[in-house]
Amino acid sequence: MTSTFERLEDVVNDELFPEVDLWLRRGRHIGRGDAAEYAFLVDALDHLEPFYRRYGAELVHQSDGYFYLLPAGDRLGRSQLSAGEMLVGQALALLYLDPATLQHGGIMSRALIVQRLQSIVGVDALVRALNPRRRRFDERVAAETVRAKVSAALRGLVELGFVDGLSDDQYRLRPALMRFAEPVRQHSDPGAALERLIARGEVDGPELDGEGGDGGEEGDDDERGADP
Amino acid sequence: MRDPHALVAALSRDRVSLELSTLDVCFLAGLHLRADRDALASFGDEHLCDLFEQVCDMVEPGAENPRKRATHAIQRLRDQRLLARVDAAGLARAGEYTLTRLAASIVEFYLADDALTRESLTLLTKTLLGQLAEVRSAAQRARSDDDWIQQVTGPLRITVGDLVGGIERRQRGLDAAQEEVQREIANLLGADWFQAVDEAQALLDKTTDTLAELNEVLLRDTHQFVALLHEIQDLAERAAAPQGVEAAAASQRVIEHVDRIAVWGDARQRAWSEYYQYVHAYLRDVVRLDADRALSQRLRDQLGSWPEAPFTLVVARAPSIRLLRDMSPRVERPAVLRSRAERDRAPEAVPVDTGAPELEALLERALAEGARSLSTVSARVLAELRPGERFLAAGRVAALLPRVARVRSEREQAWVRVGDGLEPRLEVEEWEVEPTSPNAASAGGEA
Repeated sequence: MTSTFERLEDVVNDELFPEVDLWLRRGRHIGRGDAAEYAFLVDALDHLEPFYRRYGAELVHQSDGYFYLLPAGDRLGRSQLSAGEMLVGQALALLYLDPATLQHGGIMSRALIVQRLQSIVGVDALVRALNPRRRRFDERVAAETVRAKVSAALRGLVELGFVDGLSDDQYRLRPALMRFAEPVRQHSDPGAALERLIARGEVDGPELDGEGGDGGEEGDDDERGADP
Repeated sequence: MRDPHALVAALSRDRVSLELSTLDVCFLAGLHLRADRDALASFGDEHLCDLFEQVCDMVEPGAENPRKRATHAIQRLRDQRLLARVDAAGLARAGEYTLTRLAASIVEFYLADDALTRESLTLLTKTLLGQLAEVRSAAQRARSDDDWIQQVTGPLRITVGDLVGGIERRQRGLDAAQEEVQREIANLLGADWFQAVDEAQALLDKTTDTLAELNEVLLRDTHQFVALLHEIQDLAERAAAPQGVEAAAASQRVIEHVDRIAVWGDARQRAWSEYYQYVHAYLRDVVRLDADRALSQRLRDQLGSWPEAPFTLVVARAPSIRLLRDMSPRVERPAVLRSRAERDRAPEAVPVDTGAPELEALLERALAEGARSLSTVSARVLAELRPGERFLAAGRVAALLPRVARVRSEREQAWVRVGDGLEPRLEVEEWEVEPTSPNAASAGGEA
């Protein structure tokens, strides 16, 4: 494919560059739904890959139809998704694969997401995964906490371009959710696949940060962990 | 146009409600179809009961007392204004019944399959254009109020209104059909994942083509409708006859309907386009990549075991750019100070001057002279003092007076000036005074 950009300077001078650059550096996944930005990245890929490599980051283009920036060195900040974002992200990826979601064009409500999480993970495990420090739970408080954590996680996933937030309670699934399915994408051993992803810097494993990098304070579990 | 709030309030006040069982709806549908097939204008009592029994046999076979149930069902439908008695015979003979407009609408909703197609839409829009052209000609010729009512306002309300309503009704039919297509695509893929791709794609393409064709017709024809309606509206507004105003309002209402039709076309096209893209991406990315649906199962297992073996995705996170403030030389602002000084004065001993003995003597003299109210007592006492001492002494007089005399006051105490021309001007709340010493008492009243 021939690019309309001859030099990096042309790419940087394009009016879409500042927005796309900021999105990528803030961890947003740019998919086919972001029509203009996605087309720009496809067009400028040959120039932008070496450009971001100089920052110690890789501009990843997945065949599912999305781009994201993967920081490899110390020059660009990096963060890990929180436990809530990981759980909700995987549930959304499952929904993305489910043909039943086609009926509504991939539009989901928060209630359906909570329901799906609850049926797969189990109420007890879900509550504990979202509140790792609390030992005793009142059922009503636990349910409220789960709903609040799921909402916070959804907000985070909207920011990162995994889903589109249509209203307070409606979300449209995006192809970038397939990132959550990467460890099981191949038929091979998921453990080995996870190790490969950890080696590539795509994933932080349990030995690095078992609770999604929460900062240590009670109530921080829905916060994304960041590396300096 | 009627106020929606008032309308809703009226419906609420009248406690409008509908309660229909499947049997009731089937009975209504049976009546509607029979009337249609046999060209019946109404049903006799016996006829209704027979038909109910037939429907009951199909819907609830083996139900007991069908005749009794028929009687109850007919009464229930009459109470809900779904069946109306149309004869005026009262008790003289069995009644004749017909379905009301409400019942006909309910049945038509379930039976009608008049979704919008290119053919039906083109037919409707052409008829509508013809009607509007006729109305415009009539508006050009109209001279009197009767002309406007019969040839412009009437056709706009009835004929044109019905045609526009017909398009809207078919739009709703197409909405339902689209929903059905979406459900069908989901079911197809749910049942036979890989084999269903072509079928799903065909369904998608068919609906997309239908929508595109409809939108093309709507875009082309709605412009013509609106142009004709504006012409009619202009003619109506310029008309000398008072009914022209009414015709202009009727045109405006039709314009609003037509706008709604155009907006519908645009919105459905956009929504379908989003749906199309999503399903297309799904067919391309999900179905073809996960032909055996094993990925879903593996992902489900991963999610189920994630709390025991958590891992997290890594994303870039560049902090926001820090914007520094403009440099400016630091300005030394003088502190707000107050000169140091000793502001508290030491208390100073002064002899107490109550003036009480002198005042008491003056008081008693005033009473003896016949003063019988606080204002007159005060006036006499204060007149003996220097102006600078009078204000202070006025209070003391009021304090001393109850000791030397009996005082009384009205519930509403009037404020009275103390001595005419006495300076400074003072006012007191009036008391009546009754001396307790015999000398004073013998002095009599106010002197």
